[in-house]
Amino acid sequence: MKKRLAFFPIVLSFYSNQLLAQNFRILSLNFKPMFGNSVLQLNDSVYKLNKNDSIQFETLKFYVSAIEFWNNSAPVWIEPNSFHLMDASDSNTLKLAFKVPSDMIYAEIKFKLGIDSLTNVSGAIGGDLDPTKGMYWTWQSGYVNFKLEGKSNLCRSRKHEFQFHLGGYTHPYNALQTISLLTSNLQDVSIKFDLKTFLSDVDLENKPSVMSPNKDALILSNQLGKLFKIKE
Amino acid sequence: MNWRRNVSVCLLFICVSAFVASKDGLFNIPLNWPKPNYNFSKNPLTKDKIDLGRALFYDPILSQNNTISCSSCHSQFTSFAHVDHALSHGIYDRIGTRNAPVLINLAWNKTFMWDGAINHLDMQALAPISHPDEMGESIEHVIYKLNQSKIYHHLFFKAFGDSIASGEHLLKAISQFMLTLVSANSKYDSIKQKKSVLTLKENNGYQLFKKNCSSCHTEPLFTNQKFENNGLPVDLELKDFGRMKVTQNPIDSLKFKVPTLRNIEFSYPYMHDGRFKNLNAVLDHYVRGIVKSKTLALQLEQPIVLSANEKVDLISFLLTLSDKKFLFNPEFGYPKNLLISLPKD
Ligand code: HEC
Ligand code: HEC
Repeated sequence: MKKRLAFFPIVLSFYSNQLLAQNFRILSLNFKPMFGNSVLQLNDSVYKLNKNDSIQFETLKFYVSAIEFWNNSAPVWIEPNSFHLMDASDSNTLKLAFKVPSDMIYAEIKFKLGIDSLTNVSGAIGGDLDPTKGMYWTWQSGYVNFKLEGKSNLCRSRKHEFQFHLGGYTHPYNALQTISLLTSNLQDVSIKFDLKTFLSDVDLENKPSVMSPNKDALILSNQLGKLFKIKE
Repeated sequence: MNWRRNVSVCLLFICVSAFVASKDGLFNIPLNWPKPNYNFSKNPLTKDKIDLGRALFYDPILSQNNTISCSSCHSQFTSFAHVDHALSHGIYDRIGTRNAPVLINLAWNKTFMWDGAINHLDMQALAPISHPDEMGESIEHVIYKLNQSKIYHHLFFKAFGDSIASGEHLLKAISQFMLTLVSANSKYDSIKQKKSVLTLKENNGYQLFKKNCSSCHTEPLFTNQKFENNGLPVDLELKDFGRMKVTQNPIDSLKFKVPTLRNIEFSYPYMHDGRFKNLNAVLDHYVRGIVKSKTLALQLEQPIVLSANEKVDLISFLLTLSDKKFLFNPEFGYPKNLLISLPKD
């Protein structure tokens, strides 16, 4: 009796190892912030919306969460605990890699731009969600989903600065964006989004800063959500 | 047959230790109280984490020039409200715009701050740390300073098995200390446990309280946790519209969180801006100061009528909510012993 009992865990772990022994492949997602046709660089690079303006970027940070791969309208792979802080000042953060079953076929990638409302009310969390990452509002609880800061001669603000801290998790200003992109079972996926298009729709002159969850933040977030595209 | 005995001894041990774990005295739900709102499974209390949180609560290292600690505005002998200040005083003596509330029974709170701007106890500390008129710091720099300190290397390691401080661990530890601040040892509580009785006057006050006040200041926590407009005239200088700032919805204009009335004897001055110096002035407000407006609470549409004697009785009931054991509980005070036993920086 004693002996059989002692064997039990070993037998169990043997079987579960068998089940887990599958072949995997590495799938990579590479987020590429663009300005028109060029990959966006922070700080020294100067960009133009039109002939007579100039734009420089200091900060670009955003959350990508809830990454899923779909096929035939059903998920085939879901990343557990999926929260990633993307920071343009550290290109490593823009590249994600996933270990998926080698026979997995997918036709669609889904993810969220920002942090869902449940996570927003769950208290202190570590890793990419740690409040020291500069993506948490202090005077009113909630994550900043997307942060873009820089300067432009178009802005009438102090030092010509613009700041977009977009977020908000409660109705009617829930700014979380769900993004679905059709694709063709690629191994290495580049996901681009063009900040030139984004800024063309922004009133840099009169509204160079949106810093709290409100209607403006919601509108800008909706526009941003439409800019993500896969380039094959 | 030996294994059977071993297993049953084992089982017995597991049962006993599970029993002990919930009865370890770190947090007990007082008799007949509702379940706490705080999710302890995400931040299970331990003695070492509470100790760390307590050290942080009393340490001015959390402020920009190392002069202001949480306890500067929340002192134990006023039930962790701000001593005798209508508007709280922070760094460089800058004055804030609101009165510091008591810090008790926070495990039951659904939201924090007078307008509910903070959604979780863990996130509360971020607000004063980074407020330019309170502690004027940034959480990033606080973490940097803590990581230079031998004392905190030691305390973080004991608490989390990691001597490097992180935002998550800092906030969770401060929460742990605040969660232990349970006040449930007033005369009112001993009456509910049938260990004591109200005097005639107190009992008369209790009946008046149940009639006029308890729809908002609901027992046993003495708050229904809702946001209400209790008819205070707007302070034209502060122009504080309360909950509306958070929801941006005009139906929330002038609504503030219903505060607990436990330890109300010690937490003067009263209201979100500390406009009333004593309980008499508060009752005068409810009897003849109510300002009508679109968002005024329905219960206060009709005037509350209280005679001079009834006011005295009502106040004598409010004083039965005082918990002196809490105010003088050495476990909530400055952690002298903890700090002497540690390596110096
Ligand atoms: C400069 C004074 C000051 C300091 C320092 C301060 N607080 Fe406060 N605290 C306040 C004021 C004022 C409020 C109410 C603010 C509001 O409602 O807008 C408050 C509210 C709170 C609340 C919400 C209570 C409730 O019932 O809603 C908690 C919890 C709290 N503080 C904890 C802390 C902690 C922890 C620290 C240290 C990290 C701290 N405070 C430092 C003044 C201060
Ligand atoms: C409609 C809900 C409501 C009713 C009824 C009500 N209150 Fe209040 N009470 C509040 C709100 C909301 C506040 C906080 C208002 C603010 O600061 O702007 C408050 C604040 C107080 C305070 C100040 C607490 C502090 O910590 O500053 C006291 C004392 C008080 N009420 C006592 C009473 C008494 C006694 C009665 C009955 C005569 C009563 N209240 C009836 C909603 C109510």
